[in-house]
Amino acid sequence: MSITDLTTTKKPDSALRLKILAKIGEQKPYDCFQCIRCTSGCPSMKMLELKPHEIVSLARLGFVEELITSGIVWACATCLKCKERCPQAVAPVDLIFALRNLAVEKEAKVPESYLHSLSAILETGFVQKPQNTVTRKLEKVDREKLGLPKFHEADEKFKAALFKVLEQSQEK
Amino acid sequence: MKVAVYWGCIIPTIQYGYEMSVRAVMPELGIELVDLDNISCCGTPVQSVNMFAALYLAARNLAIAERTGLSDLLLPCNGCYLSLSEAQHFLSRDEKLKEEINSLLKEENLRYEGSIKIWHTIDLLHDLVKEKKIREAVRRPLKSLKLAVHYGCHILRPSTLQTVDDSENPRKMDELIEWLGAKSTAYPEKLDCCGAMLLLSHPDAAFTFSGLKIKAVQDWGADALIVSCPSCQMMFDMRQKSVAATIGAKLGIPVLYYTQLLGTAMGIETAKLGLHLNRSPVDEFLRRTGLISTAASPRN
Repeated sequence: MSITDLTTTKKPDSALRLKILAKIGEQKPYDCFQCIRCTSGCPSMKMLELKPHEIVSLARLGFVEELITSGIVWACATCLKCKERCPQAVAPVDLIFALRNLAVEKEAKVPESYLHSLSAILETGFVQKPQNTVTRKLEKVDREKLGLPKFHEADEKFKAALFKVLEQSQEK
Repeated sequence: MKVAVYWGCIIPTIQYGYEMSVRAVMPELGIELVDLDNISCCGTPVQSVNMFAALYLAARNLAIAERTGLSDLLLPCNGCYLSLSEAQHFLSRDEKLKEEINSLLKEENLRYEGSIKIWHTIDLLHDLVKEKKIREAVRRPLKSLKLAVHYGCHILRPSTLQTVDDSENPRKMDELIEWLGAKSTAYPEKLDCCGAMLLLSHPDAAFTFSGLKIKAVQDWGADALIVSCPSCQMMFDMRQKSVAATIGAKLGIPVLYYTQLLGTAMGIETAKLGLHLNRSPVDEFLRRTGLISTAASPRN
């Protein structure tokens, strides 16, 4: 897979580069010396050709739009090994989360289910309501039948407050 | 000792076996659990969409836990543990950010201080309940069992935050298994990720992550796989059949929460531990190991 075609692609975008740097705070992609320890331990490298060191490199060059439109940032399993093992404290996973956030802001390639999670939380406070399930003997059970206390969804005040948080985060 | 408990999303909406077994074992070990009012998602599921909202949600739940006046908070889910641990880290280092979050929390008359100590099931049992109490609680020692443990990524990394154990060589869960009389087997794939976080974008890859891990555990000859994270349990236990179909292998390993195993060793009825809800072949495992007799097996 190729994220960028360096002979034909447009120029690096320094404004987007600054935007992404502002999102990751203390972790600086410029400290990376491409030792590739992150990629060598990345489980998504084996399965989905995710190369954390390449993402760091492309981001600091300013090929941010290419990264978010390629969809590669959604191949991370967030096992956090790259962050743990980086000798320079660069934390590729944090950069990946920042790129995902930017993909959402720019309405680029975002797996729809991620947006569903947010709307579910806005509605009930949680990613889902309590589900009915079955025992191995196929007996239908729910929380009540299992003797578990009643589950409470978040109240209206919660929703109003979260809306305000989302609005405020967009002004940043 | 009273400990506040925050269940998150996955445990109270589908992983009932974890909630039941934690509720069953803790009081017997001297831990009185205090449920929280009006909590919400921990933030992890929205981190990819909006990191600021994720931080807010984590701080909100911590503020609700702090309101109880208790000094300890149990987070049985790995995802919640990471999210809340990360929030405590960021907010303790950035006064401006803390005030910004607090001004938003004011809408609900909440205030985050950073005053509560967070625990996961594993370090709470290992470091707070401790070896003596656990060994004393065992009624049916798990002799001659060879068990594989799976910690789950989010309680081990990154070590720049408060974590449960060493990131590359965790031992607490292994010791917790040994205190029950069983042997924790060392296996090379021990730190491999279950892939659950890829379910939304790359389900086949997620299933392959899990499949390769389960197959490895099975091939090394472990009697069961013991986990402590609801997302990992969903992959290894609930979805074991789909996982097997994805990698084209015959899989059939019992997968249990540590608290289900502990409860069984303590002599608690299996139905109270939610063991009738596991989808993997746990009955055969419990019977074969003499933990339940055929007659005493739960009605389900």
